[in-house]
Formats: sequence, C-alpha cells, structure tokens
Amino acid sequence: MSDASAGLPRKSGWERLPERLRPREHELRGRGDLRRIESTLLVLAFLLLAVAVVNDVVLDTHTATRITADLRTWRTLTGRNYHNISVEQDLEHHTTRDILCGNTSPGPPGALPQICLIVTGPIVHGARAAHGGFYLLPYTPNKRINRYACFGSAVPEDLCGRATPPGAPHAPLAGVDG
Amino acid sequence: MHASPEGAAAPLRGDGLVAARVSGGSGARRWALALAGLCALVLLAATLEIVLDAALGHAPLIPRSPEISSWLQGIGERLGYRVFLIALLAFTAAYAGLLALAPRLATDRRSARWAIALVAALNLIVFAGPILFSTDVFSYIAYARMGVLHGINPYLHGPHAIRGDAVYTYIGSDWLRTATAYGPLYTLLFSYPLVPLGLKGALWGMKLEALIASTVTLWLTWRCARQRELNPVPALIAVGANPLYVIYGLGGAHNDLIMTAFMMAAVSLTLAGRDAPAAAAVVAGALIKTVAAALLPFMLLARRNLSGLLGAIAMVVVVAVVSLPIFGLHGLNIIAALNRDAALVSTDSFATEIAHLLGKPGVFPVDHDLLKLALVAIVMHLLWRTWRGYDWVAASGWTLLAIAVTSTWLLAWYTLWSLPLAVVTRDRRLLIATLGVQALFIAHQTAPLFSPVSK
Repeated sequence: MSDASAGLPRKSGWERLPERLRPREHELRGRGDLRRIESTLLVLAFLLLAVAVVNDVVLDTHTATRITADLRTWRTLTGRNYHNISVEQDLEHHTTRDILCGNTSPGPPGALPQICLIVTGPIVHGARAAHGGFYLLPYTPNKRINRYACFGSAVPEDLCGRATPPGAPHAPLAGVDG
Repeated sequence: MHASPEGAAAPLRGDGLVAARVSGGSGARRWALALAGLCALVLLAATLEIVLDAALGHAPLIPRSPEISSWLQGIGERLGYRVFLIALLAFTAAYAGLLALAPRLATDRRSARWAIALVAALNLIVFAGPILFSTDVFSYIAYARMGVLHGINPYLHGPHAIRGDAVYTYIGSDWLRTATAYGPLYTLLFSYPLVPLGLKGALWGMKLEALIASTVTLWLTWRCARQRELNPVPALIAVGANPLYVIYGLGGAHNDLIMTAFMMAAVSLTLAGRDAPAAAAVVAGALIKTVAAALLPFMLLARRNLSGLLGAIAMVVVVAVVSLPIFGLHGLNIIAALNRDAALVSTDSFATEIAHLLGKPGVFPVDHDLLKLALVAIVMHLLWRTWRGYDWVAASGWTLLAIAVTSTWLLAWYTLWSLPLAVVTRDRRLLIATLGVQALFIAHQTAPLFSPVSK
C-alpha cells in the first residue's frame, strides 16, 4: 500500500460523515486482510492470463506446424515449388481442414487459374492427406460461384458452382484420396 | 537530481533497506557489478542487432517507410522473426537481471551515472534507426497533412481522403478509413508543426519528439522517485531499459511517450503541492491520448481541493478555445473516440486469448460488455481505496494496467502506461503486475520460435 502510517481525516465538513465513510490522508494500518484478498485475486488473474497465453502459443505453434505440412503437401502433389500459396482455415467450425490454392502455372499470385486442395487429418512424415480439390478462376475469391472441375471429396460436397471454362486446366490431381 | 556534497561515491538518498543489503561484502558487490555490466552489454547488443537489421528496410516485422536510416545499412541482415524474437528474449532476460541487481548496486553516484549512460545509449541507438513494428507514426503524419496541406478535418475523415498524398502508401490498412483518435493538443502542438518539414522531415520530427518525451518521462520518473524518497536508479532502469519501452514504444515513435511525460509531470507537480498545474498536466495528457484522463479522478479524490478541479477546467477551456474553430466539436469528442477504439479486437489482447482458451473463435459483443463491467468494478474499488487513503498514483497505475488488460485491442506500448507510475509508488505489487503483464505479452509473441512457417 502507500505510506502505511495511520492518518487522520482533515478537519472539514467530511467529519459529519460516519468514520468508516470519511476520507483519509493515509491508509490505516491493519488493512492486511484487504491486501491479502487483493493479492490473491491478482495472483489468480495472473494465472488465468498465463494459462491463456500458453494455450494461445501452443495453438499458434500447432497451426504453424500444420500450415507448414499443408504447404509441403500442396507442393508435393502439384509438383510445383511455388511460394505464394494461399491457405484458408476453417474458422467457422474450428476443424483442422485447410484449403490451399496456388497457380496452375508460373505467374503473379492469383493471376492464373488456381488449383486448390482440401487438406485434412494428422501430419504424417511432414505432410497431410488431400481428399479432394477444385480449380478456381483467376483473380476471384474462393467462393462456390468461382470454382469448377471439382474432384475427390469436393464432388459430393458440391463445392463447385461453375462449368469448366474452355481451354482451362481441369484434370483431377493424381495422389489425391477420393 | 540533488547535488551531493560527498562527491562521486556519495550514497543516493533512498531505500534504507537497500543500503543495508549492499553492505554485505565487497566480493559479492564485485560479482554483482560484473553481472550488471554483462546485462548492460546484452541490452546494447540486442538493441543494435534489431536496429541494424531493421535498417535494411521492409520486412514482415518492419513497416514500409521512406529511407531514413540507409546510413546504417550494410552491417545487418533483413530482420526476421527468429532473430528478432531471440534478441527480444535476450533483452528481456538482461533487463530482468539488471532489475534484480539494481538495488544492490544503485547506491552511489557512479552507479547512477552508469545507469543514466546505459539508458541514454539505448534511447539514442533506437532514435538513430528506422521505425520499428508499427505504422502508427505514418497515421500521425497523415492526419497532420490532411489538416495542413489538404484542408481536411482529421477528426471527420480517415487518410483515404488524401489517397494521392506521399504518406498514404505507408499507413496501416486498418486505419485508412479511420479518423484520428488522438487529442487536439497532440494534433495541434505535436503533429501540425512538423508538416512543413516534408515527409522525411516529419518522420524525424516524430522520432525526435518521442526521444524528448522519453527523456522527460525518465527525468520526471527519477525526480518523482526522489520526491518520494525511493531510490531513483532502479526506477530509471525499470522504465528506461524496459524492452517494450525501448523497442516498441520508442522504436515506433509512439505518442504514448508524450502522454506519459505529461502524466509524470502531473505526479511530480502534485508531490510538490502544486495541484492546479498538476491537474492541468493530466488534462493536457488526456488531450494527447485519452487514456491519461484515468489519473484525474484519483488525483482530485486524493487532494480534495478546488484548485485541482480549477486547473483541469482551465486547461480544457484553453484547448477548447484554440481547437474548436479548427476542428469543431469533433476534436473534443473523447467519448466517441473511446467507443470506437473499444470495439476493436487484436490477437494479442488477453480477452482474445481467454476466448481461445474457452474454445471460442474470438471476442463477442457480450464479452466487451463483461470486460467493461470488470473494469468499472476495479475502478470503483480503487476510487474507494483512494478515498480511504490509498496512494492515488498507485491507484492510477492500477487503473491504466486494468484498462490495458481488459482492452480487446492490446498493443505492446499500452502495457507501458502504468510502468512509470509503478516505479514511484511503494506498493510493489503494481510494478510486479505491470512487469508480469509485459512478460506475458512477450511470451505470446514467441510462437514463431517453436514452429516457423516455411515459405
């Protein structure tokens, strides 16, 4: 506490108040119980925050490890060692299902038709399983209306809402579990 | 600082307990001195590493900026997460070591000089380097250029109104459509005058303002510690060598430092019995950045005289008279700015982390209400404690810390608000809590160390 010496209230109109409501210049000695309660609450609050921080760091670490495996999966299955691959996490249902999209041929990010893979499951040997996928029109958001040529699990999920444009790449990717 | 007739080895006035501990033995003191020297070297090395690497320019951690530190290029490598986090952790460990050793060493004027030299060196290294980790300074400049060059009220429009301006490309994307949340005193006194210097000149001006504000804050921290008969050297080190203060606060040239300078001026003036200018200084701080207003009710409640209230009102009137014709009522509408900021959510906020712990994706509106309720309860408790004699400076510090912890929009420099107050109070729990919160903030940054994402 502040200077713990006992103090007397100022001689003023405050004296009309009951003693326990009057203002004081200094805290009275013997506020040990209050201090103990405050300190206990502070320690509990700190522990809660510490657990929340550790939990968040662990979550972030798991997510980063998963995304590293996802990127490796995309590069292995497509055979393209591109750097600009977008990763979309399932923020709505908090599953570990990620969708990764990257160009079908060299070019600026998103400027060409993109191939997207649906990646799920545990990390095995640094990669995860791709169960399906689709193609995406250039410069478009990953929405059903822009997707075409679904393959694997994307077909029964009805993720594609557009016919394959003439001349666009559309072949199902080898190595994707159906 | 007080002159000492005893000369260089004269003891500093302060904690008697400290003096008793120091008399333990010259061997132990030599070891403590060596360890403190080592900690100081680590602090300097970590700061140099970050600044030199950041000087190479835009990186994931370093915002795009006009070239202001190209003369530092050629020594470091582009700053990545790994190097930065290792440097930050090394800095933090050395700071903790120095804090532990400071009470054993900080007893004579020679130690005081070394502490001042260390803090000055850290401040100057960061001043010489580029803007670190935040685009806020470009928002400050953009709002100023809106008003001075384009005749646009920054309290009504965001920087998107000056899309063709040179500063536009450097502003953080979150703030392009956001009107300024800073007080009219800041806008008029600390940002408008820098506009004629051009973009680079204004950037250096902002950095210089941050350096001067930091120096004033540290000097007032020292002065307040002495006024309260506390040892000023550990107080100086606790603030001036703090990793978040040096790397984030000063590195980003944040106007929070100007606000803390006014806060500490208010504390110092109160300790000198000058209540009217003290309250005016608090209001001035709040007219830089609103959060400083948290000090006022505690100060008024503790002092219980009319002059404080009059000082506060006088400052409001003066700034209102000057700013109303320029900004209209919007410049003084602090509540609107607070409400808007309270709705923001950052990934580093404790509220978000607790939401994740509870399995929620993030903070919901009901959580905002619960946090506000918790903050009100804490403030009411502290007001009552202050009424019954608790140190108003400590109560203000607790309030600022509670605002940071319950805010859904937490940034590194928000955890600095309570620090200078914490080191000039006798309730050591406040300093421990502030440093604990800062430690948790730093710990939350470390995830990339454990699993760096390969590009």
